Amino acid sequence: MIILGANSEIAREFTELMLQKQSFVTVYLLSSNAEQLVTFKKHLEVKYKTEVKIIPFDLMGQIKLDFSAMEYNLVFSAAGYLGDTEAGVIAKTEDMSRIMAINYSGLVHFLNAVANDLLEKENGTIICISSVAGERGRQSNFIYGSAKAGITAYLSGLRNFLYKKNIHVMTVKPGFMDTKMTRGMDLPGPLTINPKKAAHLIYSGYKKKKNTIYISGIWRLIMFVIRNIPEIIFKKLSL
Amino acid sequence: MKIEKTISNWGNFPKLKASEYLFENLHKTQGILEAEESVLARGNGRCYGDAALNNAVVSTLSLKHFLSFDETEGTLTCEAGVLFSDILNLVVPKGFFLPVTPGTKFITVGGAIAADVHGKNHHKDGCFSEFVTQLKLVIDTGETIICSRTENTTLFWETIGGMGLTGIIVEATFQLKRIANSYIYVESIKAKNLTEIMALFEASEDWTYTVAWIDCLQKGKHIGRSILMRGEHARPEQLSNKQQKEPFKLSPTKAIKIPFNFPRFVLNTLSVKAFNWLYYNKQTPKTIKKVTHFEPFFYPLDSLLEWNRIYGKSGFIQYQFVIPKGVGKEALQDILQTIAKSNQGSFLAVLKLFGKNNPKAYNSFPIEGYTLALDFKVNKKLYKLVPELDAIVLKYKGRIYRAKDSLSNARLLDYVKVHNTKFNSVQNRRINKATP
Repeated sequence: MIILGANSEIAREFTELMLQKQSFVTVYLLSSNAEQLVTFKKHLEVKYKTEVKIIPFDLMGQIKLDFSAMEYNLVFSAAGYLGDTEAGVIAKTEDMSRIMAINYSGLVHFLNAVANDLLEKENGTIICISSVAGERGRQSNFIYGSAKAGITAYLSGLRNFLYKKNIHVMTVKPGFMDTKMTRGMDLPGPLTINPKKAAHLIYSGYKKKKNTIYISGIWRLIMFVIRNIPEIIFKKLSL
Repeated sequence: MKIEKTISNWGNFPKLKASEYLFENLHKTQGILEAEESVLARGNGRCYGDAALNNAVVSTLSLKHFLSFDETEGTLTCEAGVLFSDILNLVVPKGFFLPVTPGTKFITVGGAIAADVHGKNHHKDGCFSEFVTQLKLVIDTGETIICSRTENTTLFWETIGGMGLTGIIVEATFQLKRIANSYIYVESIKAKNLTEIMALFEASEDWTYTVAWIDCLQKGKHIGRSILMRGEHARPEQLSNKQQKEPFKLSPTKAIKIPFNFPRFVLNTLSVKAFNWLYYNKQTPKTIKKVTHFEPFFYPLDSLLEWNRIYGKSGFIQYQFVIPKGVGKEALQDILQTIAKSNQGSFLAVLKLFGKNNPKAYNSFPIEGYTLALDFKVNKKLYKLVPELDAIVLKYKGRIYRAKDSLSNARLLDYVKVHNTKFNSVQNRRINKATP
């Protein structure tokens, strides 16, 4: 199993849940901050007696991984970067390339390389976290939103491309999540989910071979409404 | 990043508006130590009263990783925010158990060391610290110090039972106990009065686990009416066929959650009396022998999640004292009389005979003698009852458990000696103020 963005809480909860449900020969933890993964690696080794390898990996750089030498049939990506948003500013230039690389361009390079390798291996699953922010550009975070829109479109194409090859692609669209990053933010309780529950929803989607899941389900309805607001009205809103 | 929130411990009393940080890394912790006047580590908030409360707290719940587990020696190293429940889930299937555990498994390892918790086997095995071999502590300078029985020993023993006042415990290594299965052989014996229950404790000294439930609303010749429970880890041949099929089973029952705070009238003298009557009388024979899972034996209330809501919004206090063994009878008699007279009912008051203390762990609460733990709903009468009880405990040279206290006389709590100013708590300031 390959976990990209392994320092995120959702990735960690999902990794633990998968290890509780089935066994994996090796767990590859990928993150640009590999140092922070050391305790998590020990924790997994103690708790699940599995082999864990840390791979320092940055989506901003070149993909130099040899996937053919890795033993896996599941790839989970929680890579994402919201950016440093500031009111009245579209995006800071250096931040913008980071938002685009981590949420889209770098991630596409990575997933392409994985997909090519899975074609050789002839089976597997790719689970990738996109966002509801990709469903309609809003003034508050549209660089991020457009990158997420891009990855959502990419994932649906990839799913289509790999369907006959026995490789499944699942798109995950979270709404608000209660994590270290959003700690202290005033999120609406009923629409906010904790990483542990989110991991369970992703796992059940994975078992049922779902194509796209929202976490939680209420976001499917919310986004339906948001998508269907006429542009003439939407452009005047401050969402 | 810090958030402003109202924090309180398991008794929901007292409540405090505080800045809560999450422990992220050493670098950030240094920043917190510089920015705040005083800091206190806070785990899962399962203590009572004003322990673990401070205007700035660092939550250790993010420190939830296991670091190593030697399955031949039974030694475990983990971060300080790991819960006892997580440890049980990991080690029980491998034939190990916690060497010492209090009545809830929802406490953190850091909290267990800071309060130096005790359990039903105190008379045999002592406190949790007896099994702790090493700990990592972030001190006021922001440095991490490793302390053990051979290295930085002064700091090690100062931290044991030190209520978090020496620093932030971030990691600990301790010895587990080997078990043959998840089951406990239990004998429950009814005692009509104080003389009987004390004789039972003395006669049960060789048992690994002993504890008694006591009905503290009884008066006159019934004073001390109680049920002693004594247990041993079950031998394989004592298990039923069903139990033998899954010898290392975890949690046999599903937990129920108390959905809301109960209104004030639910808990009154009458309902406590009725409950105590039922509890005592549901057992008709003098002695019952059975083999039970460790969960109901050690953690009878953990299957009722958020049971503290039963006491309603205003919360409750726990009053736990210990009095030297020699004066046990007179002291208990005095105290039980005072409680019965006050009509302040306590559900499931728990009595236990502690064994000898480890003089090295000078901050730990237990001393050889009888300890009684009581719950009282917070109300006006309590402010009169607590000083009355304190006076008796003081008279008999007893002490109060800091991990549970909020209202007691500082002289009963000043046995904890820690030299530090950076780490502090509401409780510690209250005690220091009263005993200059």
